[in-house]
Amino acid sequence: MSATAVRRTRRDPLEVPLKVSFPFWVIGSLLLVLFPIYLIFMVSFAPGSALFGERPALVVTNFTLRWWREAFKAGGLISPLQKSLVVASATTLLAIAIAAPAAYVISRLRPAIRYTIVIGLLVTRMFPEFTIGISVATRFAKFGLLDDYLGVILAHLIGSLPFIAWILVGTFETIPIDLEEAAQIDGASRLGTLIRVVFPVAAGGIAVASLFVWLYSWNEFLYARLLTTNQLTLPLKVFQAIDRGTKQEMATIAAILTLPILLVVYFLQRYLRPGALTGAVKG
Amino acid sequence: MGGWFRKHTFELVLIAPLVLYVLILTVAPIIDTFRLSFSSPRGGFGTVGSYDFIFKDNVFRRAVVNTLIVALLSLALEVGVGLAIALALHVKFKGRGFVRTVLLVPLGVPTIVSGAVMLLIFARSGYMNSVLGLFTGLIDKIPGVHLTWTNVSWTAAGGTRTILTYAIADMWKVLPIMTLIFLAGLQSIPEDVYEAADVDGATKWQRFLRVTLPLLIPYFTMALILRAIDAFRIFELALALGANEPVLGTYIGKRYLAPTNDPFTAAAASIVLFGIIMLFIVLYLRFVARFQVQR
Repeated sequence: MSATAVRRTRRDPLEVPLKVSFPFWVIGSLLLVLFPIYLIFMVSFAPGSALFGERPALVVTNFTLRWWREAFKAGGLISPLQKSLVVASATTLLAIAIAAPAAYVISRLRPAIRYTIVIGLLVTRMFPEFTIGISVATRFAKFGLLDDYLGVILAHLIGSLPFIAWILVGTFETIPIDLEEAAQIDGASRLGTLIRVVFPVAAGGIAVASLFVWLYSWNEFLYARLLTTNQLTLPLKVFQAIDRGTKQEMATIAAILTLPILLVVYFLQRYLRPGALTGAVKG
Repeated sequence: MGGWFRKHTFELVLIAPLVLYVLILTVAPIIDTFRLSFSSPRGGFGTVGSYDFIFKDNVFRRAVVNTLIVALLSLALEVGVGLAIALALHVKFKGRGFVRTVLLVPLGVPTIVSGAVMLLIFARSGYMNSVLGLFTGLIDKIPGVHLTWTNVSWTAAGGTRTILTYAIADMWKVLPIMTLIFLAGLQSIPEDVYEAADVDGATKWQRFLRVTLPLLIPYFTMALILRAIDAFRIFELALALGANEPVLGTYIGKRYLAPTNDPFTAAAASIVLFGIIMLFIVLYLRFVARFQVQR
């Protein structure tokens, strides 16, 4: 007893430095993560004069809505915005329609087979998008799917299906099979059980999975680039502004692309778990 | 056999669309790209002409080296900084819930936006120079110390500085996810392990080194493998931050897209990229396996 007591009272050499540096540690983390977000919005509202000079000011005092107005007026933002919205929404609906029934079946297979299929699906994600995209884009060009909503939707399904199927298998696994058996004893058909019992119980998981697919498609750049020559999506529009626009134009379009994501993530934080997340937000 | 199909019609109908989609639009294109990489523009399969071309191409070699440096550097940065932030959030302090919420908000920020914002920060008249100028200005106020900051263009310079901006952009984009993974890892460590370490009189540093780190290994593995696949595939960031320092992603893009329009060498380079990713995963798993046995 006395030996431990002596050890415990001995001063830990890191105690004081940790205590002193801790607030700076937290503030530093906040600055590192949030400063770039602040910058995007700040620049998009800054009057042109605020950004000139060798060392632009970190804080802008007089704001202007000019760049946001111009982006929508002359920037031709409506068409990319519409394309991104339609593509992301259609990709999400199709991904759920294709992946949810399949994930249900996979979740009811024997564990060995189930894990083989899930790992097989995830292995497809190890390939560079280019390895898939080069062939896909060459073929799509022949079918006239370049500069077309459908082409990008099909390509975004490639990226999202394995991932969403993986999440949903996890969701369906947690639904007890007794629930289905009870419904079937009550006379429900297998399809009826699936639609009226299993899917409603899994609604939370399906909603989160949909969100990830929507965000993936909204952010996706590479496939869109390979399948587009002039009908841009919003991320491609950001790149166009990086390439040949002004700072404010770039910041404004980037802000418009980012805003829905910030809102969605803020309101859905409690659903975010590392396991469900790591594959969704990709490079 | 026919009976089996009849018995499982329901399951087969439900799973068929996914299986067919993956076969037709993922597996087949992968095989097709392999085939393309061994084909020549004049038709004919079974030539290594494309590989021969890219390996003799100085830009390709530079791209390979750059990709390796960027990926390893950004992995090291994001694991280190992500763990540091997670450790801070694991300590109980006033306002922790708020800080945690706010830190996770940039979670889904698009890669191209990360590129755009880093361009604002690291350009010649960018905000990095503003911040550094501000700091050196403050230090300069101390009597007897003279320090001034000369503006530097980080992105356009090429070389190490540009590579560094790629890695920082990549790190910033994934910090929230890394924090989340390591936070989950830290929360999975039971409190009594630490109590046992305290009874043995371990210092904080020893606790971190001997208890926390070894128990986090599965989380390191998860984070590293998931991130490595993306880190080697870096494309948008390099495109946004400096075309004059190639990585494999931008090299492939340049070969495939107009005006080069050469899917054959692009396919070959994409297969090389795939090989690098696989090699990293195999080496990492071997290394970790050995490390865990030694322990």
